[in-house]
Amino acid sequence: MSKRFVLALMMAAAIAACGRADAQTAKENSYSPPRLSDGTPDFRGIWQSRTTAYINIEGRPADSGTGAAKSIVVDPPDGKIPYLPDALKQRDKNYRERATADPANNCFQAGVPRTNFLPTPFQFVQSVGHLAIVYTDDHAYRIVLPSSIPHDDGIDFFMGDSRGQWEGNTLVVDVTDLGDQTWLDGAGNYHSDQLHVVERYTMVGPDTMKYEATLDDPSVYTKPWTIRLILYRDKSPDARIAEDECIDGPDGVWHHVSPTDPRALRRHDFNAELEAAAKSQ
Amino acid sequence: MSKAWRVRQGMICAAILTLGLIPLWQATGQAPTPSAPAETAKSDKSGAIPRLPDGHPDLQGLWHNDSGYQAMMKNMRSGKGLAVALGDFHGEGFPLPLPYLPDAEKVRDYRKLHDPYHDPEAHCHVPGVPRETEQPSSLMPFQIIQDEKYVVFLYEYVHDVRIVPEDGSAHPKKYWAWDGDSRGHWEGDTFVVDVSNFNGRSWLDMEGNFVDENEHVVERYTMSGPNAIDYAALVEDPTVFTKPWTIHLTLTRNPAKDQIVYYDCHEGERDVQHYTQSEGNKANKHE
Repeated sequence: MSKRFVLALMMAAAIAACGRADAQTAKENSYSPPRLSDGTPDFRGIWQSRTTAYINIEGRPADSGTGAAKSIVVDPPDGKIPYLPDALKQRDKNYRERATADPANNCFQAGVPRTNFLPTPFQFVQSVGHLAIVYTDDHAYRIVLPSSIPHDDGIDFFMGDSRGQWEGNTLVVDVTDLGDQTWLDGAGNYHSDQLHVVERYTMVGPDTMKYEATLDDPSVYTKPWTIRLILYRDKSPDARIAEDECIDGPDGVWHHVSPTDPRALRRHDFNAELEAAAKSQ
Repeated sequence: MSKAWRVRQGMICAAILTLGLIPLWQATGQAPTPSAPAETAKSDKSGAIPRLPDGHPDLQGLWHNDSGYQAMMKNMRSGKGLAVALGDFHGEGFPLPLPYLPDAEKVRDYRKLHDPYHDPEAHCHVPGVPRETEQPSSLMPFQIIQDEKYVVFLYEYVHDVRIVPEDGSAHPKKYWAWDGDSRGHWEGDTFVVDVSNFNGRSWLDMEGNFVDENEHVVERYTMSGPNAIDYAALVEDPTVFTKPWTIHLTLTRNPAKDQIVYYDCHEGERDVQHYTQSEGNKANKHE
């Protein structure tokens, strides 16, 4: 029996054992994803949510622009975030002031989990032993280090500090070190810098992935709560993560500049620049 | 001290560095950045290079450029003096003076003398190619993740990212970006990246050297040992330079324990007012 065959057998046994440990969700996780050479599920590709949760994760009625949406909060079952009383007041204040107070208006990186249901795609970058998620908005990325490496301590990051491990076919990512300068959506739902997020990514078909995140923040919520949504693979042949920047425009207003917009291209007119320079002196 | 402030302080510290206000930094005696590779792995030119199952060299890991700002810091610490050290930040592999066309040289001179605060990097724009590899990556490493289809560069500096397909596919027709559009292929053990579709705004350093929308770069990554990559970038831009020129760098592997520390630049920016009065007025609107 060759060494390679023995290795393969051991790997299969390990995968089976992991699968049993995750028996609770085995039924909905019956899809067997493609795998990397070491047996870990292969999530590589470009994914995007089709929800409008980026507007309000608690759902919203239809308006002239978008259809009605259900809450993506699945626990508690009423679809409402279990805010502490003062925190609920703060959320309502955020909602009233959202046109100016939403950190996304200043083009800050979205934070976790908001970044996963923005109306733009993101890409799983993966090789044996390595995993990163690259987002379109603000060219944000997260490097998911193995959970055997402890979280960094004493510093906050806009996209937090991610540590991942595989439970069967599910990628479980523990996210800490999130700051208090990000919101959960455009409706003022928020968290403090004590937020702790546990994300679960599970492929449920060749082009669909279930995403769950449990949010714990005792200074804002009465108890941990969970969101769930489906991510869809972008199968178009020219799918890519386009460069996105959202910073100082010529008018002093922050806005995104698409690299496919001809206005993103500046053709140099050296004479004009020098003439303007001569005038300004 | 709140956590938010600590993050902001880190960003301000980084912004000061970016601006080259080194004396300030020196006076406070702070470390250059939390992740500056203090004890770097020695460049090992002997030994076999690692390979992936597809046979290509395995470029994965954290890398930094030992010249550039890194050389400047070393020279400052060795007492060479600020003026001398500042002149060193390109390192030996950067072919100064660049072969400018006359009009372009006038623009460079003007920017260098009168307009250095409009260096896009100081405003948190991604630095472009090859600047990202040469300058920020001499203080802050970048990580490569590689499979059989893509080589992905995750730069610590301003969370810049380049996802480079290995299939040598064509550049798109309507796409213009700070980092351009990168398409790679293998020539033997060398990963060759063709970069085009630049947006015409990037500077090459904080001394006004620049490229425009006709920039075209061919980068070559060749492992010279398990812990070193020979990097060469051929830069051509027929509306700025009289002829193509090449930058040579040695990229050194960081110690295995090192991690990318997320570098948020624009977020929480409150330092723009230090650049110019007009920029400062803009910044004040957002207070």
